[in-house]
Amino acid sequence: MTTLTLRTKRRRSALRTLAFLSPWLIGFAVFFAYPMISTVYFSFMHYDGFKPPTWSGTKNWTYVFESYPFFWPALRNTLWLVVIMVTLRVLFGLGIGMLITKIKTGTGVFRTLFYLPYLAPPVAATMAFAFLLNPGTGPVNSILEKTGIPAPGWFNDPDWSKPALTLMFLWGVGDLMVIFMAALLDVPKEQYEAAELDGASAWQRFRFVTLPNISPIIMFAVVTGVIAAMQCYTQPLVAGKVASGVIQGAGTMFEPGYPEHSTLTLPQLVYNLGFQRFDYGSACVVALVLFALSMAFTALLMRRRGGLIQAGD
Amino acid sequence: MTQVLERPVELRSPATPAERTARRKALLEWIAVHSLGVAAALFFTLPFVFVFLTSLMSDSQALSRDLIPHTWEWANYRRVFDTPGFLTWWKNTLIYAGLGTVLTVVSSIPVAYALAKFRFRGRNLTLMLVISMMMLPPQVVVIPMYLFWAKQLDLSGTLWPMIIPLAFGDAFSIFLLRQFLMTIPNEYVDAAKVDGCGDLRTLLKIVLPMAKPGIAAVALFQFFNAWNDYFGPQIYASENPGAWTLSYGLESFKGAHHTDWNLTMAATVLVMAPVILVFFFAQKAFVEGVTLTGVKG
Amino acid sequence: MSARMPEVVRKAAFALTASTALLLSTTACTGQAASGASDDASKEQTITFWHAWSAPNEVKAVKALVAGFEKAHPNIHVNVVGNMTDDKINQALRAGGSKAPDVISSFTTNNVGKFCSSGALIDLNPFFKKSGIDPNTTFPKAMNEYTQYQLDRCAVPLLGDAYGLYYNKTAFEKAGISSPPKTWSEFEADAKKLTIPQGDTYKQLGFMPDYHGWETTTEHYMGQFSPTYFDKSGKSTVATDPAVTDALELQKKLVDDLGGFTKLEKFRSGLGDEWGPKHPFQTGQVAMQLDGEWRLGMALATKPDFEIGVAPLPVADDQADQYGKGYITGTIAGIAATSKKQNAAWEFVKYVTTDTDAVVGFSNAIHNVPSTLDALKSPKLTYDPRFKTFLDIAANPNSTTSPASVNGGVYLTTLQQLGYDYESGRLTDLSAGLKKAAAQIDTDIAQAK
Repeated sequence: MTTLTLRTKRRRSALRTLAFLSPWLIGFAVFFAYPMISTVYFSFMHYDGFKPPTWSGTKNWTYVFESYPFFWPALRNTLWLVVIMVTLRVLFGLGIGMLITKIKTGTGVFRTLFYLPYLAPPVAATMAFAFLLNPGTGPVNSILEKTGIPAPGWFNDPDWSKPALTLMFLWGVGDLMVIFMAALLDVPKEQYEAAELDGASAWQRFRFVTLPNISPIIMFAVVTGVIAAMQCYTQPLVAGKVASGVIQGAGTMFEPGYPEHSTLTLPQLVYNLGFQRFDYGSACVVALVLFALSMAFTALLMRRRGGLIQAGD
Repeated sequence: MTQVLERPVELRSPATPAERTARRKALLEWIAVHSLGVAAALFFTLPFVFVFLTSLMSDSQALSRDLIPHTWEWANYRRVFDTPGFLTWWKNTLIYAGLGTVLTVVSSIPVAYALAKFRFRGRNLTLMLVISMMMLPPQVVVIPMYLFWAKQLDLSGTLWPMIIPLAFGDAFSIFLLRQFLMTIPNEYVDAAKVDGCGDLRTLLKIVLPMAKPGIAAVALFQFFNAWNDYFGPQIYASENPGAWTLSYGLESFKGAHHTDWNLTMAATVLVMAPVILVFFFAQKAFVEGVTLTGVKG
Repeated sequence: MSARMPEVVRKAAFALTASTALLLSTTACTGQAASGASDDASKEQTITFWHAWSAPNEVKAVKALVAGFEKAHPNIHVNVVGNMTDDKINQALRAGGSKAPDVISSFTTNNVGKFCSSGALIDLNPFFKKSGIDPNTTFPKAMNEYTQYQLDRCAVPLLGDAYGLYYNKTAFEKAGISSPPKTWSEFEADAKKLTIPQGDTYKQLGFMPDYHGWETTTEHYMGQFSPTYFDKSGKSTVATDPAVTDALELQKKLVDDLGGFTKLEKFRSGLGDEWGPKHPFQTGQVAMQLDGEWRLGMALATKPDFEIGVAPLPVADDQADQYGKGYITGTIAGIAATSKKQNAAWEFVKYVTTDTDAVVGFSNAIHNVPSTLDALKSPKLTYDPRFKTFLDIAANPNSTTSPASVNGGVYLTTLQQLGYDYESGRLTDLSAGLKKAAAQIDTDIAQAK
C-alpha cells in the first residue's frame, strides 16, 4: 500500500516535472538535437541546395581543413581575438570596475555613462565606429592628424582592423564593469583593514586581498569572453562590409573578411560556405568545429567549482 | 559641479599635521580618481556625441573633417523616416522583439521553476544542456534550421523562423530565471504547498510576484536580443524587404546612402535611441540581470 | 536503476525519433521537380520579379518596363522587388516557396554555369521553340553564349554591358594631353600627369587603380589582355597565362606610381559612392575612370562642370592592333525552377528580352547596350554619340568575358583575393601566388561538382 502510493506519487511528480519542462524539451529536440544530428549528417554529404544530397565521405572535411582558403585565417583571427581582445577587455573591465568603486561623487552618472555603450545594438555600434574610424573623413583621424599622431587606416588596414574591433569591444565593456563592480563590493572590508594594519601597500592589498577574492569572477569573465570571441559575427562582418565600400555591391560577390581576411571569424565561414557558396556540407563542417570549440570552453565554465550551476538546493 | 566644489571646503577644518597629510592624500586621490573617471566618461560618451553631431550635418559637411555642424539639419531625421521601408523595419523589429519577448517569458518560466525548485533525476544534466544551448552560436545549427524553415515550412522571408523557436523556451532566459528563482527561499514554496496550493498555483500566486525583477531582467534581455539580432534576419528575412528589421535594414541603408554619413548616422541614432530609452526606464532590472549571470554562482 | 530512469530514456528516445523523422523528411524533399510548365498564362495572376538595380533612375526604368508588359498582358501582374544581390537570389532559388521569385535577373553572368547545371533556372529552349523565336538570330553572338552552359539555355540576356574608359576632357586639356591613351604605357604617363597631390591626399587623382575602386576589378583589367582562365579540360590557367600576370603587374605599377596603396586607399575611403551623385569621376576628384556604359548617362545627369570623353580602354603595347576591345558582360534573366507560374513568367521574360520596343525603351532609359540584334538596329534607339563607343566595344570580335563555371564566380573572387594581396604588397612572389591560386581554383571547382 505504502509502496504503491509512493510509486503513484513518484509518477505524478515525474509527470509534473515533465509538464513544466515540456516547452524546453520540445525546443531541445526540434531546435538543438535534430539540427545537430542533421549537421553531422550533412557534413558528410555533398549538397548544394538544388540536387538531392549525395554521400561524399570525408571530402568536405579535407576540403575545409586543407583547401578552403578562409579556414586557417579565420582560426588565426579567432586566436588573436581570444588572446589579445579578451585579455584587454578583462583588464579594462576590471580597471573600470575598480574606478567606479572608487568614485564617490556622481557615481550613478558615471556608472550609467560607462554602461551605456554596452547597450548599443551591434550593427549600429559598428556603423558608428566605421564612421568614427574612417581614415578619410572620420573624426578620430581628424583629431589624431591635428595633434600630429600618425593616423592608422583602422578598418581599412589589415594590421589595424582587429585593433579597431578591439577598441569597439572595449567601448562596450559595460557588462564586465557591472560584474566586477559587484564582485569588488563583495570583498569583505575587514580584510582590507587587516591588510592596512599590517602596512600593506596599495599594490599588496590588490594582490593579496582583492585578487584572491575576485579571481572566480575573473575566470568567469575570461571564459565567457573566450566563448564570445569565438562566436564574434556581426561586428567584423558589418565592419568589413562598410569599410570595403561594397556593402551591397549589386553584381559583385562580397566575401567576408575585408581587408585581406583580417576580420574573418569562424561563424562568418558558415555564412560564406552555406549562404554564398552554397556548399552546405562544408558549412556544416565549420559549424561542427565551432560547436566543438564552444562546448570545450563551456565545459570549462561548468567545471568551475560553484560556477554557473549552483550547488544543491 | 557643485559637489566637486564642496569637498575641499569640507576639508578645510583645523587638524593635526598627520591628519592634514592624510586629508591631502585623500584629496589628491579624489582628484586622481575623478580625473580618470572624467577621462573614461569621455571615452564612453564621445562616440555617441560625434555620431549625434554628424547626424545633424548637411550632406556636404558630413564628408568634411569638421566636427561641429555648421547648420543644424534636423530634417535629416525626416529624410531617414521618409526612406522607403524604414517604418516597416520599425514595425517588424517591434513585432519580433515584442512577440518574441512575451513568448520567451511565458515558455521559460515553468522550465526555470522546475530547474530551480523541483528535485528530479537528470536535473543537473538538463541544466548542463540548457547552458550548452545558451553557449551555442546560432551558426552551428543554421544549415538544417534554414532548410527546415525554408523548404519544409515555406517560412523564409518572414519573421516566424526567428519568433516561433522562442515559444519553446530560450536557454539564456531559462538560465537567468533559474538563477533568480534560486534566490527565493524554499520556505515560501513549501508554505504554499502546506496551504494546499498545487504547483501551478504556487508558481503563479507565490513565486511569480516575488520573481518580478528577474522576469523584468529576462524580458529586457530578450527584447534587446531581438532588437540587436542581425544574423537571424540576414538568414531568414533578407529575401523579403517587407520582413527586414532595423538591424538588418540599417546595413542596407548604409548600402543605399554610402557616404551620406549624416543620414546613416541619423538612422544609427534612431536604432540606438529606443534601447537607451528603455534602459533608463529599467536600469535596475538590467544591471541586476547582468550581475545574476555571473556573480551569484 | 530506479523508477525515474525510464523518463530519461523516454526523453532521449523522443528527441531521437523526432529528429530522425525531421531529418528524413528534409532529405526526402530536396529533389527538384522536373520542369513541365503546365500553368495557364492567360488567367489572372501575379508573378514576382527580382532585379538588382538600385539607382533611382534605374528603378524608375524597371517600373516603366514592367508597366509596358502589364499593358500588353493585362491579366498578369508583376510584383517587382529591386536591389536584390546574387547572394539573396541564390538563396531564394534554393528555398523556393511562396515568396520566392518567378523571374530573376542578375548583373553577373558568373552564376549561369551553376544555375544551368543545377537546374535552378529552367531550360528556356522549349519555350523559345514554342514561341517560334530563334535565340541564335535574336541575340548578339557573345550574349547568346554567356546565357547558356553546355547547351542548356537557362538565361536570356537582358541588356548588355561593355567596359571602357571615361576621361575628363577639361583636365586632359589642362594637363596638355590631346587624346585618350591607346596603350597602357601611354595611360600610365597620362595618369601621372593628371595627378595633382594636395598634402597627403589628392586634389585630383589621375586614375583610381585599387581593386576596391568598384569597376577596377581583376577581371575588368584582365579583359584588356584577353585571358583564357580555363584550358580545355577545365583546369585553371591563371598560373600559365601571361595575360593574367601582365594585368596584375600593370595594376600594381599604377598603384605604386600614383602614390602607393596606403595613400590611395585612404583617399578612396573618403570618396562618394558608385551609384550616387558624388561619384569621384563626376565630382572631378578622379580624372579617368574604368567603367561600364551606364556611367555616361549617370554622369551627364549630374551636369558636371567638365566635358566627358569616352574611349575604349588601352591595350598592351604589343597588342596595339587590338585597340577597341573591352570586357563585356550583361544582365541576365531567367525563370526559377521552383516557380509554379512558368508560362506566365515566360510571357514576361519574352517581353522584356525580345520585344524590340521594350528592349530599346529600357536601353534608352538606363543607358545599357541593347541585347537583341533588332534593337541594336532600331531607329528608336537614342543615344549620345559617345555611347557608340560602347556599342562598338560590344561588337568587337576581340572583346572578352569571363567564362561560366560550375561554382559561379568563386574563381574570380580567388583571383581578386590574390589581387588584393599583390596590390597591397603582402604578396611579392607573383608567380608563386598565381600557382597557389590556380590550385585553389581547381580544388574549389572539384569541391562544387
